[in-house]
Amino acid sequence: MEEVVGEFWHRLVTKQASTDYEGVRVELTDVQSQLGLFYRALGGCSAKVIEAAAPRKFNAERNFFQRLAGTHKRICVAWQDERSVRLAPDIAFFPNKELNEKLYFWQVAMAAYLPNVTHWFTDNQRASLALVSARPGLKLIYLELVEAILTSRPSLDKLEGDKREREVVVRQALINPGSVECLPKAAGDVYPIPLWLYPEAMHGVHTQPSDDDENALVTSRSGMEKIKSARREAQRVDDAKKTDGLLVFMLESILSWTEYVNLDRPKQDNDDENLQSAVEDLDIITLSRQRRAGAARLKFDLDLPAPQNDDLAIGDGIKFPEWDYRKAQFIEDYCLLQPMLADDALPLSIPDTLKSTVNQVRKRFSALQFQQNWLRRQPYGSELDLDACVEWMTESAQTDKQNLYKKRCRTERDISCLVLADLSMSTDAGINADQRVIDVIRDSILVFSEALLEAGDPFAIYGFSSIKNKQVRFHLVKNFAERYDNSIRGRILSIKPGFYTRMGAAIRQATQILELQRSQQRLLLIISDGKPNDIDHYEGRYGIEDTRKAIQEAKHLGLQPFCITIDEEGSDYLPYLFGDQGFAVIKDIARLPSLLPKLYLNLTGLQ
Amino acid sequence: MKIKNSYLPQANEVQVFEHAAQNFLPVLIKGPTGCGKTHFIEHMSDRLNRPLITVACHDDLTATDLVGRHLIGKDGTYWQDGPLTRAVRQGAICYLDEVIEARKDTTVVLHPLSDHRRALPIERTGEEIQAHPNFMLVVSYNPGYQNVMKGLKPSTRQRFVALEFNYPSPEREVVIVCQESNIDKETAQKLVNLGLDLRRLKDHDLEEAASTRLLIYTAKMILSGLDPKQACMACLALPLSDETNTINAIARLVQVYFP
Repeated sequence: MEEVVGEFWHRLVTKQASTDYEGVRVELTDVQSQLGLFYRALGGCSAKVIEAAAPRKFNAERNFFQRLAGTHKRICVAWQDERSVRLAPDIAFFPNKELNEKLYFWQVAMAAYLPNVTHWFTDNQRASLALVSARPGLKLIYLELVEAILTSRPSLDKLEGDKREREVVVRQALINPGSVECLPKAAGDVYPIPLWLYPEAMHGVHTQPSDDDENALVTSRSGMEKIKSARREAQRVDDAKKTDGLLVFMLESILSWTEYVNLDRPKQDNDDENLQSAVEDLDIITLSRQRRAGAARLKFDLDLPAPQNDDLAIGDGIKFPEWDYRKAQFIEDYCLLQPMLADDALPLSIPDTLKSTVNQVRKRFSALQFQQNWLRRQPYGSELDLDACVEWMTESAQTDKQNLYKKRCRTERDISCLVLADLSMSTDAGINADQRVIDVIRDSILVFSEALLEAGDPFAIYGFSSIKNKQVRFHLVKNFAERYDNSIRGRILSIKPGFYTRMGAAIRQATQILELQRSQQRLLLIISDGKPNDIDHYEGRYGIEDTRKAIQEAKHLGLQPFCITIDEEGSDYLPYLFGDQGFAVIKDIARLPSLLPKLYLNLTGLQ
Repeated sequence: MKIKNSYLPQANEVQVFEHAAQNFLPVLIKGPTGCGKTHFIEHMSDRLNRPLITVACHDDLTATDLVGRHLIGKDGTYWQDGPLTRAVRQGAICYLDEVIEARKDTTVVLHPLSDHRRALPIERTGEEIQAHPNFMLVVSYNPGYQNVMKGLKPSTRQRFVALEFNYPSPEREVVIVCQESNIDKETAQKLVNLGLDLRRLKDHDLEEAASTRLLIYTAKMILSGLDPKQACMACLALPLSDETNTINAIARLVQVYFP
């Protein structure tokens, strides 16, 4: 009974306290892609993504119901850092939907114009002024938004003293941006202004010295010590648990959740749900920084997997030379390239999440199969080739060779494509909550393969990673002769990140394979996420020079190397490797699956 | 003489072209779509007082189409000069637009014309025509990764004097849009700003940037009475993308300038 009443009360009070308008809510996910484009068009950095922001604590005026319900302590405001622009996950701030949408667009316009907020009060006014003066449409939006916002701000009658004065100034700054220089001081925070950008969230995060002790790290000599210290850490946590067990759950502890990292609440039944609500209540999620323990594990991860867990090694490996730029000569038989096959990958069909993309791309590529054109000067055909006839008539000595017809036939698309994917450890990095770089690369390869299958172009897929020169792992996914079916799909879907990036040897092997193809155009498509590097001297200039050499060899053999990279700094070194037009930098990696087939069409000159 | 086509130079292209013409050298012009390559050639043809013969190259264009062919007349067959042969005989500027689209065999006939020989051998008739002193060969193409696989062969490229074009600076572009469409400066400024915004989306969201030509089209449509927002959608959004999401976002962008 208590619970029912409590819940009812909670609902009643929060409803009273809410300032949101229901039914006109605009979700960020609905407009996200449009916002991204809008942001980039207005000059925003194209590498940044639009993301949902977490609510932030404000010590601002709240009305009676809001205080009673305990809401409006945390409010979502727009801000950005080097990686992304953060906007509220939904907006229901205004009574009409269009206005809520406009607020999103205004916020990204501000973000595009104001990459860094140093003086919150003046910078925002300056940016607003600049935006409205250059773009008449934005001015209308701004005026409309300001008008709506002023009605929702705390009424001047209810404020007094400093706070009233400050609110007057803020209103002035909104109505007439650029007109106010400084903000008068008053207690508490300014009531949030959704039109303005806020600085990056700053928290006085203090790390516990025992968690991340630099000195200890330097003095620790052996791996054993590292493991010991990790154990000690665990011990300490156990101690903490003992005291926890004595406490009955107390309401006050809610306030101290920010400090607690190791959640231990044995009394509660549903951990997942409670963790979720705990996360929502937390301002900062502090992560324990056990760098030493992490380092020890990282080292372990990079050891070679046990043979029974690894892909099947085929043959004894192939030796390749490597280019040493300092000596300006090849070191013969320096690299051992080991072809590997994921023989335990089960056949799989296309995952549901990719089906719609695959269908779209297939439709586009299937048209290529039926492209037809006229073949001239044929010995037989459906129509006379007038040119050939006239020419035959004008020739003084009329020969017996009478190729006077033209016929329609399917265009021979004479293109072979070899995809070489970089499967180094760096592709294990996450791009968002549930996707890693490698997942996107895998999806892209799958979608691309479906496209090529539809177009009927012969293709092969390989992946590579390396651990020094002694093992360049060359993963066979599909060769030119194999039929593309579910077993290949299974192999693509079982692609996992490996080790380092010794690009040269892998490119040399790919070149040899592709060279055997007798097509007129042979495309060597390299999908990469960074510079060539390995744990030995294969880094920096050495790696670049060797890779460049390998690419030049490929070019000499008449292959067309092309690199697709997601490395934002790719433009720095790729022109040297592939030439000015020999690469494409994909800034929004999530779009790689749909971009890759498009790029192929462009490259092969068919669209 | 009054020059019909007004042209606002981007840099020193007019001088370079004139010097190339004086020295009987062929010219290669590269630059993105709709940045004024063709317009520049038209202007130079006026300025040098030489006729202009333009050939838009396509993937089915053969050497025969350029040089000429035999046709059937009343009294049997007769020879008909192609555009290139006509230009060589008359002393015109022969402008091959988007030359890399043409078949590979066309470049072969260009080679003897583009070096010191300045001669056009016609295989069919056994004739070799020495080029008129006023004859000038100009080719253009759009570099960019779409054309990587096609490209011009280095041996062909290095026969030309090259000029690189890009979209004009915003100040110049405003003047150009005003001049070409007679629209008022304020609207032209807005269009150019919108164009700049759209160009930032190239490679990321759009395959092609909004060209000066598209801006001029839009200005003309506005001037003839179409609502600016509709004109922008028809001329700047829909031609650039097929994706609904992108078009919707561009519509937002258009509203920013033309509410």
